[in-house]
Parts: sequence; structure tokens; C-alpha cells
Amino acid sequence: MKRCLPFILWFLVLGTNIAVRAETDAEVNARKDALDVAGAFSNDGFKIRDGHWCGVVKPHEHALVAVNLYAGNQYWFSVGATEPVKQIAVSVYDETGKQVTTENYDNGDKAAAGFSPANSGQYFVSVDVVEGGEGSFCLVYSYK
Amino acid sequence: MASVFATAGAAETGRLSSDQLSKAARSDSISIPTPGELFAALGKSGKTNWAAQYRGPIPATYRNRAQIALNLGGLIADGFIAVEAKDGQQVKNIGSDIIKLAKALGVSEKLLARGNSINEFAEHSEWDTVQEELEATENEVKSSMQTHADQDLVILVTLGGWIRGTQVVTAAIMQDYNEDSAKVLRQPALVRFMQSKINEISPELRGEPLVKGVSEQLAEIEKLVSLPSGKAPTVDDVRKVNKSVDKVITEIESKDLPK
Repeated sequence: MKRCLPFILWFLVLGTNIAVRAETDAEVNARKDALDVAGAFSNDGFKIRDGHWCGVVKPHEHALVAVNLYAGNQYWFSVGATEPVKQIAVSVYDETGKQVTTENYDNGDKAAAGFSPANSGQYFVSVDVVEGGEGSFCLVYSYK
Repeated sequence: MASVFATAGAAETGRLSSDQLSKAARSDSISIPTPGELFAALGKSGKTNWAAQYRGPIPATYRNRAQIALNLGGLIADGFIAVEAKDGQQVKNIGSDIIKLAKALGVSEKLLARGNSINEFAEHSEWDTVQEELEATENEVKSSMQTHADQDLVILVTLGGWIRGTQVVTAAIMQDYNEDSAKVLRQPALVRFMQSKINEISPELRGEPLVKGVSEQLAEIEKLVSLPSGKAPTVDDVRKVNKSVDKVITEIESKDLPK
């Protein structure tokens, strides 16, 4: 499996996706960064979901996406962002809007949040600019 | 895992309003979990006899495109089951059936190469990679559908996979019930989202008896999986969901389409 990882990451970046609109170069780069972060979790047995969510995030606003998760699994949500974003953050909320406790990784324009839901259902992942200007981001997630 | 990184810690602070939650983005590729995620969660609470969840081959001669799309999704879920069972021959059999159905939709050219790589990884027991290839195959089918103006069929592939996955999981839970495993069935927002996607497809396709029937059943299933947060479905709840999805699968597989 590990010897296949570089190929898989390459494929996930350049290969198929089912997004309707074309991605910008900045989003492709952000996705590569997100996959770099997620790749580290693969060493711990996390499988990277072949899906992503890219867009533009502005300071003082958040980008929010709904995900449906299963109790029993562990998840990591990994984000990459591009200039002029200097620092990005990821947080997770439950279906009532309450922020859940996550294990966080923050490294400038790359970040991740990990947690294990006690209940199955809908959760929300928020991407926020902590420092810098409006820029592209991309989110991928992994599970085990 | 945190030790891998320079800066890591726990965080919890805020709250989002219902208005903010309602405006959250939702997409097929990130908001709908794969059958692999569902099976991974089930596997946490006990040993599952995945091979016992196999089903017989389904016909590869359907003519109705909606029916092909629904069955294609179901077959991809079957592939995930074979991966959980670590059964190389079954992976190959299902891979071959997926190609046949994809051909019927005219989306098979790239998939032939994908089918070969699935076989190769299965022969070498590289199960994680087989699973990734299956997921990539599903996305490639959907991408091809969009290219060929079959956008409306995409949600049917997803739905077919979810229904087959739910059939397998409910059957497994019924065989060895425990509350932890039953908790995976609580997914009201997911079913609601798939229902909303069906409501967006063309009126002609939505009016087809099979799609209409599946959609009506989905509304029933949504009620069954809409449990309060933290409450596990009882054995009887699980049985009801299983009965509903069994009925849908029977309709999807049937050579005689409902009129």
C-alpha cells in the first residue's frame, strides 16, 4: 500500500473528479497541499476519500460544508490554501451547530482537524482564514 | 498521529447558527459517504462475516438507463464488500460486472484500464488500493456521465450504492445485534440530501416508475433512520430498515420494471 501512495496522491490530484466547474490552478495547488497533509495520516491507516471540496475563502468569513459521518470511524479533515492566505484553520461542528473537540494540526497554509464522532449523522466542516487575504483552498478527508 | 506535526492540540470554542448551517455547501463527492466508510464503521464493533453478504450475479442486460445506474452503484458497493472479505476472485467477478454495466451506459473506455488495475491489486492482496480504485472507478463513471450529459444519473449511482450498502449492514447487524454497530444507521440528513438530489433531476426521469418507486421508498427509509442523536436503533428498527431496502433492491434488480 505504502509504495502505491505517491501514485495514488498523484492520481487524486490530477485524476478524475466529479466537480461540475473547472478548478483553478490555485485550487489544484491547494488540493495538492491538502493531499500532502492527508498523506501523513495514511501512514496511520487512514484512507483518503476520493472526493474534495475547493473554493475561495475570505478573511472574517468561513467556508462551510456538510458531511455525513459514522460513529465508530475516526476522521481527519485536511485543508490546503494558497497565497495570500497565510494561516488557515479547520474546525468541525455537530448537527446542532456546536463545535466539537478536535485534534488539530496547524502549519500556516495547511491545517487539519481530526475527531471520532460518538454519534452518526451530519456534521459541518468550517475552513477559516486566520491570517492573510482572500485565497483558494481545498478540503479532503480521510477515515479509518 | 499528532506527534507527526509541529503544532497540534485540541480545540473547541464556538457555535454556528441554524442560518449558517442551512447555507453550508453540500456535494455528492464530499457530503455522501462511500460504502467503504459505512463498512469500516460496522467493522469496529465486531467481526462481520462479509462473505455471507454476497448476492448472486445480477443481469447485465438491463435496457433502462436509470436501472443500470442504480445497479451500477449497487455493484460498486458489492466491490467494497468483497474488499472487506479480502476475496480476490469476488473482486474480479464484480469488477467484470461493473465494466459490463458501464459499457451499457457508454462509459467504459477508461474503465477497462481501471478494471485491469483492480484485478492486479486484488491478485496481490493490496486491499486498501483495491478500495481506492473502486472509489476512483465510481467517480470516473460519474465524471463520464456528466461529460455525456447524463448528469441526472449520477445521483442514482450514489443512491444504488447507499441502498445496497444499507441492505448489507442491516443484515449483518440483525445477525449479531449490538447498539454500537446499529448506531451507523442513524443518517437522516444523508437520506434527505439524496432525496433532494432526486427532486432536482429531470421530471421525465423522476416520473419513471422505478425512480418514482425508489424515491417513495426513500421517504419511508428517511423516517426509519431519523432517530434522536445518541439513540441506537433497536433490533426491530434495524429489521424495518432492512425490509425497506430489501424491497427497493428487489425492484432495482428486477428484469420486469414496475409500470
